[in-house]
Amino acid sequence: MAATFSFTLVTPTGMVAEGQAEEVSAIGPLGEFGVLPDHINFITSLVPGVLEARLPDGEAMHWVVSGGFAEVKDGVMTVLASSAESPESIDASAAAAQVRDADEKFSNLSFYDPDYAPAQEALMLARARVEAAALKPAPR
Amino acid sequence: MASLKAIRRRIASAKSTQQITRALKLVSAARLRRAQEALANSLPYSEALARVADSLLTSEGISVGPVEGAQKRSMLVVVASDRGLAGGYNSYLFRAAEAARREIRGAGFEIELFAVGKKAVDHFKRSGVPVALSRVDNLPRLATIALARDIAARMLADYSSGAIDEAGIVYTHFQSAVTQKAVYERLLPVKPPGDAGIQDGASVDGAMPKTGAPKIDYLVEPSRAELAPVVLRGYLEAAVYHALLEAEASEQGARMTAMDSATNNAIEMISSLTLEMNRARQAQITRELMDIVGGAEALR
Repeated sequence: MAATFSFTLVTPTGMVAEGQAEEVSAIGPLGEFGVLPDHINFITSLVPGVLEARLPDGEAMHWVVSGGFAEVKDGVMTVLASSAESPESIDASAAAAQVRDADEKFSNLSFYDPDYAPAQEALMLARARVEAAALKPAPR
Repeated sequence: MASLKAIRRRIASAKSTQQITRALKLVSAARLRRAQEALANSLPYSEALARVADSLLTSEGISVGPVEGAQKRSMLVVVASDRGLAGGYNSYLFRAAEAARREIRGAGFEIELFAVGKKAVDHFKRSGVPVALSRVDNLPRLATIALARDIAARMLADYSSGAIDEAGIVYTHFQSAVTQKAVYERLLPVKPPGDAGIQDGASVDGAMPKTGAPKIDYLVEPSRAELAPVVLRGYLEAAVYHALLEAEASEQGARMTAMDSATNNAIEMISSLTLEMNRARQAQITRELMDIVGGAEALR
């Protein structure tokens, strides 16, 4: 039995998940990172992407987070997400349409446009939704 | 004494008023419960965020203070309701807003008002105070994340461009359905933890929860300097959202109390009018009897 650590996922509208996990991976500004038990105290911001928590029974849970922070303190991981959606709540075809729209908007913007960063975030969020929607029949 | 018909009409009108106020009371009671739930749900997030913000925003070398050479302007967000019929809710709030304005002006700041809610816009228009920004959503729920995000974004944009060097929010702090307290809370610049002065109002428990724990050493990615603005934005969004939630709960609480006493007044009025109606009817019957008896006497 692998070691576990306690993990909570909270959003401004409430607690989304709370429990033990073997491994949690998420996407930060420097790329994807994973947290295992006994991780050093750590803070990072999150970029829109899929958050995965591997539970002690081998199952994996996924959420689409739209940004926020992750904190590891004394072996306890807290993810502060601006929002968290479960794959079950995502409409795959709507997500695909969002990617098309966001991609079109983003590719027409110059790097110096003030809308560049928001458009990039929207695109990443839409892509994360598509990715999560593909995970839908995930083993529960 | 009023005629029987007039009294009956008044009773009918009091009854329909009572029906309306009772319905409004039930609606706001349900909304109050929802708002209180939302308030409780937001707590774990703000607590965790306060811990992160504490250790990041106040570490040495990270400046989240006002831009150098910023104008002496202060953004004041006033959170009122869109609808009335909430007793003294809005007037208490505007009194607190006036006090905050006097205080800010006394400190030598110009004020940029941000009116949230139809009642706030109307109030400042009536009193001839220029409003820089206003926002009327007119949704069944006041505290939406989108609204909090917009307000926080606006504050930060002006703060980092140097257009303002201070920002605060006037809202009603929810204590219970009967007691609420309008408070002014300064959000920017962020005060170091342990300094209880984040809230200028008398009650401190309404401020963002501040942990007094010793600072924790963190590995920070990408870097403290890059992360600080992100944390600041998150912190501000959460603080504004918290204020909106408090305001929403207070508004519904105030409305519920106001509608409860209006319903009671209507009940009281109906019972006194019913008494008056019975007297009037009795008097009429007596008068008619006297007429009949008088007529019979005359025929004898």
